[in-house]
Amino acid sequence: MYADYAYLIVGLPVLAFVLTIFFGWHLPRGGGFLTVLATFAGFIISAGIFMENFPEKVVHQSMHWFATLNVGILIDPLALVMLLMVTFVVTLIHTYALGYMNGDPGMARYFAEAGLFTAAMLGLVYSDNLLQLFIFWELVGLCSYLLIGFWYRKPSAAAAAKKAFLTTRVGDVLFLAGIVLLYNNMAALNLPDGTYLLQFPVIYENLAKIEPTQLTYIALLLLGGAVGKSGQFPLHVWLPDAMEGPTTVSAMIHAATMVTAGVYLVARMFPLFYAAPHGLLAVAYVGGFTAIFAASMGLAAFDIKRVLAFSTVSQLGFMMLGLGTGAVVGSFAVGVGMFHLIGHSFFKALLFLCAGSVIHAVNTNDMREMGGVGKYMKYTAYTMLAGGLALAGFPLTTGFYSKDEILVTAWEYGVLGHQWLPYIFAITAALMTAFYTFRLWFVAFTGEARSDYHKHESGWIMLIPLMILAVFALFFGLPAQEPFYEAVGNNFEHYGVNFEELAVIGGHHVEHGAEVHEPFIIKILPILVGLGGILLALLFYSPWRRLDIRKFVGERDPFRNLLLKGYYQHEIFTAWFAETVVYGIAIIMNIIDIKIVDGALNKISELTLSTAGTVRKVQTGVIQNYITALILGVVVLVVVIKLAMEVGL
Amino acid sequence: MIPLELVIMLSSAMFGIGLWGLATRRNGIKLMMCVELLLNSANINLVAFSAYQPNLNGQVFALFSIALAAAEAGIGLAILITLYRLYGTIDLDNINALRW
Repeated sequence: MYADYAYLIVGLPVLAFVLTIFFGWHLPRGGGFLTVLATFAGFIISAGIFMENFPEKVVHQSMHWFATLNVGILIDPLALVMLLMVTFVVTLIHTYALGYMNGDPGMARYFAEAGLFTAAMLGLVYSDNLLQLFIFWELVGLCSYLLIGFWYRKPSAAAAAKKAFLTTRVGDVLFLAGIVLLYNNMAALNLPDGTYLLQFPVIYENLAKIEPTQLTYIALLLLGGAVGKSGQFPLHVWLPDAMEGPTTVSAMIHAATMVTAGVYLVARMFPLFYAAPHGLLAVAYVGGFTAIFAASMGLAAFDIKRVLAFSTVSQLGFMMLGLGTGAVVGSFAVGVGMFHLIGHSFFKALLFLCAGSVIHAVNTNDMREMGGVGKYMKYTAYTMLAGGLALAGFPLTTGFYSKDEILVTAWEYGVLGHQWLPYIFAITAALMTAFYTFRLWFVAFTGEARSDYHKHESGWIMLIPLMILAVFALFFGLPAQEPFYEAVGNNFEHYGVNFEELAVIGGHHVEHGAEVHEPFIIKILPILVGLGGILLALLFYSPWRRLDIRKFVGERDPFRNLLLKGYYQHEIFTAWFAETVVYGIAIIMNIIDIKIVDGALNKISELTLSTAGTVRKVQTGVIQNYITALILGVVVLVVVIKLAMEVGL
Repeated sequence: MIPLELVIMLSSAMFGIGLWGLATRRNGIKLMMCVELLLNSANINLVAFSAYQPNLNGQVFALFSIALAAAEAGIGLAILITLYRLYGTIDLDNINALRW
């Protein structure tokens, strides 16, 4: 019954967007409560669908669009967990924003754009075909651009918005190319009339018929799209800069939901990646490398939001790695990657909202100027501690279960697939994660105040979402993990995907049912690195510190500066590549544009103008002339018709 | 009954006078009067045909046409008054601000 209202999950936020953008100015708090209610209604509907269908049934509604394309809704367990997570987390973030954005002159605009974002993200999740997914994908990117540049009068925010838009655009072009290539290959199969070529069930069904090399190209192009959206190396550069937007935007778009779209895409197209030779290998390596690369930059950053942004990039790498291990563990990898995605969105949204709460009070992002905030903001400090524990993988928290599973499957990937690098990357990144998370917490919340700031706690409207998220960050993992792996890991059984057949195409040697015995050390290593990282942070940064960080890493330490400068990416990408190579090409293009393209255009317009100048003399403006011409015309016409009739034509 | 030919000749004559007036006059009011002549010649035709081929369609049409003509005259005169206020004349030859 709830499935009949599935379209409202997108429809209501769109309605909220329209209402707030036109009438938000006249409503209290920019009409934000409309956006909150619309999102919450989406959550209720999703929960209803969950109760009725999970995990046995799939809701599929489809309408003809044109030619071999359709529009439709597909809610299988994979989409359903995303729907629930997005509506739940975004409802809380919108509620928090009611307090956080209060008093901002652009509040109505904020809630309108946030509503549009919500609609686009939810549409992306339950699209039943790749083209519709792409449309929502672009909409989500647009909302990200609008919200990063929310304070558009600030030059750095405008620049960051532009950077995010252009960088993700690189990925989007690859994604579109992948869709076109897939469409061509599907069309070449001569499927019966009336088959929608880009519909997911149809793709899953016909994968095995496509040529393997083509599959690899498609998989790599789609991965390009995912890399752009999910901030994976080398297209991760936009995500830390995206922190220029309001903190609620960072929490909503650049931590909990939108950036997971890339991971979701890989999960959604998992059979294709599985069937494509080297498809999952690329996913695993991109993910593993990004995990350690971003985590290392998080070690040195001082901006509280940038630390969290690097952490997000790194955790997205973990998710990609989790999916990539599918080469040895099969579709179970979807469950592994997606579980980390869901858990991560709870605690990363929590961490960002706490950071927002602190920034709201302290009015700076630099954690060197904070210190001792915990004394004045008890609730924020403890909820942030909960988020930090989950992120660091402290035993029994949500993050522990999800990350532990990824590390273990990555180890199996090493044993069975003989690819050890991803595991080494991941375990090191896990250590770094625990370290920088608690470095952040200790520096900001403990010790003495290092600057003069407003010492007050945030209002209840901001604290309640924090508490709800904290509960989920701590306690979601244990009860949810088994049914989650079961339902999402077997998601593709609903479509009858034959993974044994695809494994042959993809060249995976999976021995199903082969148990890998994990040594004891592998089992407890995730716990050890998590606790070890926390301990290191405790020794270096807490009020009870025993070691002085300056003795180990000096101000002039080259490695520290390398990390602080983000591996000189800005210098390489922007200063050198963009300003010499790209700018040079741009100059040549500009000359061609002015001389040839514009030149031709100008000639044409000149010709048009001179012709018109001659011909316009006919328009005398004297009505009598027109009427005379009219009468003459009628007379001639009558005579011609009469003559023609006489002749007998 | 008056023969149909005579009625048609009358209406044709009115139509011709109207056209001639439109083509030769410059005064806005006169032009409007000529347009009225054209409309009414058509009305005569409608009524005549309606009478000779006994049904009421033609007369109903004529009524519509008269209502329309009234509206047209109202708007036309309003435009002419505005033009007169602006230019101090209703000689259409002098009203050429939008001409090349």
